[in-house]
Amino acid sequence: MRPKRKRAGRIIFLSGILVAALITFLGNKTVVKTSTNDYCASCHVHPQASQSWKRSTHYDNPRGIHVNCVDCHLPPHGDGYLFEKAKTGIRDVWANWFKDSASLNWEAKSQIDYAKRHTFESSCIHCHQNNYPLGLTKEGREAHLYYEQQAGELHCINCHITVGHYDPDRRHAQNVDFGTAESEDAELFTEPGIMDGFSDFTEQIVGSAISFEMVTIPGGTFQMGSPENESFRNEDEGPVREVRIDSFFMGKIEVSWGEYLAFFKQTGAQGKTTDTYLKAANADVDAISGPTPPYGAPDQGWGKGNMPAMSMTPQAAKVYCQWLSKITGKTYRLPTEAEWEYAARGGTSTPYFFEGDPKRYVRKGIRNKIFGIDTSGINTYINFAENSMARTVHPDEVPANPFGLVNMLGNVAEFCSDWYSPETYGNYPDGIVSNPAGPPEGEEFVIRGGSYRDGADRVRSAARDYTQTDAWLKTDPQIPKSVWWYSDCFHVGFRVVCEYDEPILNE
Amino acid sequence: MKPTNRRRFLENTAIGAIGVIGASQLIRACSSEEAGTTEVVEPSFLTTAPDGEPLKAGVVGCGGRGTGAAINYLDAGPNLSIAAVADVFQDRIDKFRAELKEEKNVELDDSVCFVGLDAYKRVIEADVDIVILATPPYFRPEHFQACVEARKHVFMEKPVAVDPVGTRAIMAASKQAEAAGLCVVTGTQRRHQWSYNNLYARVKAGMIGDITATNVYWNMGKLWHVAPQSGMNELEYMIRDWVNWTWLSGDHIVEQHIHNIDVSNWFMGKQPVEAVGMGSRLRRLTGDCYDNFAIDFVYDKQIHMGSMCRQINDCANSVSEHITGSKGIMIAGDGRQHIFDTDANVLYEYSSPVDEAGERLENNPYVQEHIDLVAAIRTGNQIVEAEETAKSNLTAIMGRQAAYTGTKVTWEEMMGADWKLGPEGPLAWGPVNMDKTVPIAGSAAEL
Repeated sequence: MRPKRKRAGRIIFLSGILVAALITFLGNKTVVKTSTNDYCASCHVHPQASQSWKRSTHYDNPRGIHVNCVDCHLPPHGDGYLFEKAKTGIRDVWANWFKDSASLNWEAKSQIDYAKRHTFESSCIHCHQNNYPLGLTKEGREAHLYYEQQAGELHCINCHITVGHYDPDRRHAQNVDFGTAESEDAELFTEPGIMDGFSDFTEQIVGSAISFEMVTIPGGTFQMGSPENESFRNEDEGPVREVRIDSFFMGKIEVSWGEYLAFFKQTGAQGKTTDTYLKAANADVDAISGPTPPYGAPDQGWGKGNMPAMSMTPQAAKVYCQWLSKITGKTYRLPTEAEWEYAARGGTSTPYFFEGDPKRYVRKGIRNKIFGIDTSGINTYINFAENSMARTVHPDEVPANPFGLVNMLGNVAEFCSDWYSPETYGNYPDGIVSNPAGPPEGEEFVIRGGSYRDGADRVRSAARDYTQTDAWLKTDPQIPKSVWWYSDCFHVGFRVVCEYDEPILNE
Repeated sequence: MKPTNRRRFLENTAIGAIGVIGASQLIRACSSEEAGTTEVVEPSFLTTAPDGEPLKAGVVGCGGRGTGAAINYLDAGPNLSIAAVADVFQDRIDKFRAELKEEKNVELDDSVCFVGLDAYKRVIEADVDIVILATPPYFRPEHFQACVEARKHVFMEKPVAVDPVGTRAIMAASKQAEAAGLCVVTGTQRRHQWSYNNLYARVKAGMIGDITATNVYWNMGKLWHVAPQSGMNELEYMIRDWVNWTWLSGDHIVEQHIHNIDVSNWFMGKQPVEAVGMGSRLRRLTGDCYDNFAIDFVYDKQIHMGSMCRQINDCANSVSEHITGSKGIMIAGDGRQHIFDTDANVLYEYSSPVDEAGERLENNPYVQEHIDLVAAIRTGNQIVEAEETAKSNLTAIMGRQAAYTGTKVTWEEMMGADWKLGPEGPLAWGPVNMDKTVPIAGSAAEL
């Protein structure tokens, strides 16, 4: 029996080796086969994947080199390649079987925040080993010096996002032509709009064909902030205060690209950012100097006209108001936070100006995660994360609130003139607060209303937020950084208010 | 006892502490060690550069320092030659050639001597391996970038720039040189001085404990000036009188005091984060520079560097660095190269090594820079000092701006500032259109 057993042992041993070799061989084959561009493209059939790749410099370049999907979207071999591949594989197979590709928001997934998660910096550096290659421009050298000082805070694709997937609407360069190509066929206004008592009026920008609606916001008192039992309430929304607001006018829509570009064209400056800003900040100077050309594409190619202007800084928005006041003979300014909330509520004290419970609209909690959310109530009123496809919308697409204001909630978040503090409401003196204007000083400005990026919890009437100067200028390579345009923030804009001052009107 | 002169010393190629590791490699090796350890890593130096393929150098800027640097370079080892020179003035080139003939018996052909504002390009185009940059620092960023792009090794004098824009250009070009395998040595020669390296090794080994403060000084009498002469156009006058003009020299805190500031940064292993200071122009005769500065630089963790520099006759003088620690103090300069404990007992005094014949070996740091450069090129142990020097350069500029403006100036501002000195547009012989008012800090009250 013994020899037989020995033989059997040998057979088992040999077949073990054979099976192991086969597994290794097939495993390796599988890894190779599932790492080809064709294999990736068999599921990623949307144009954001293969077509944009073929127009990018990673495919279409003078050297004839093709950089493949896995070269960027997986880390280098030996640096977690197989682990990431398995992880990505499981997720993609799941998505392919259980999700409809057309329903996925590929637009949003190609935004920088998401793209960073699926593009490995170690892979960029694996090929691009020298940050100062032969022939690099002066600007390039300065930019890479800056990148190296921001250790860990910047990803290569913060600036080079289009190298793998071409996108004509994005650019990382000074955009000198921005806003100058718009045609103006219509007749130009020679007189500003007329404010006739306290009723809605149309403002006209002299020297342009641009006009916009200003609606009356009759003064009154309201409860500012949110009650403690409101869903998703943050601490900074309280304590609730009774606030009195005087009458004023407010822009029906967020300041549009049409309006903002009229300002840009009439005042835009080519000079050094610091110089022009200092001039603009000085009220004695007759001529108001406006923005310098932006770096990158502030409109993101989403359309201009009545689409909301965005990515300007609060300082730029304030200079816009100064300029608008000067050319119209009225007093335009940013709303205070209290005016903004009063206007957004339109007499309501609920989370939104329409009926609806934030709990039903937010992907939080076990119930919503399992059964999904029903956003049919909120979808008609607000352009927010669940329905925006990661973009702003035209104001015609949403209904107005009780005061006749469009897009107060969602679309772009809006600057207020107040400095932000989490303790603002509690710090006001006791009793009814009259026309409050926030703390006397601060570092960041209040923004309100939430944007196309925010979930239903962040687009409530009471939700507060604030600017993030450093983060929103992260990839501006200009020195000094622009005081006019944010390089890394496209979800903030503003709305103007016009003061209603009876004695002046009667003169 | 035989007199030891430089040439005699250089003939002793096989003696003394010889190693192939240059100073900067040594520094790199030391800087990774934590203070508090006790083992001193003894520095070693080559006393001459190793032989190898012939190396040809071009010289840009043939003034006093350019001439000196060219001779120092030729003294550094075998098979080294000067192949081309450039200056903006013919008389400077003539003087350079005469000096080189007398000192080194080297003659240059007319065809390799170039005159003009862009003559540096001819030198780079000539068949040279190394370029020695010794013009006023205003020109350095442009010249250095051109050298790096042409893949030349570089020796360049301090300062390396006069403004933040220029300094950052040096930093970026330095990284470019590093990536391209080039060797760059700068004229902050204390880092190539045996005494300083021995002191450094002991401070790093914890002899004075943790550094708690530094004080650095360059207080001396008036430097030279050139009086305006008829027949000179304004640009020519300014360049001939360059140490007195901020746009050309960076002012004396940058032009001269950078040496001492660099020692503090070297021993600290970093640069200050902010500066407040004062300065004025009391007795300078020409130009727009100040003649005294007193700056309080602050490193992170609230370690201060007290910095003073003055160029006024008949005042108290000092050219020295004091590094104070929890257990003692290092003092270099004014004839001292000591480490004392907190009771002023000597813990260490540097003395130069002795050769086999019992003669003291003296280290000429100006030659040592070139020995280290040539050794790095010939051995392939790359050395690039430009970024490190640029950091000390920008520290000095930060101090200057603190005095000029009276405000607190931060490192972060320096790294982001768009200040560029000098006239707008390309330089041309003739009048120089720029603001020449001397800055005055703060604002005046009404009487």
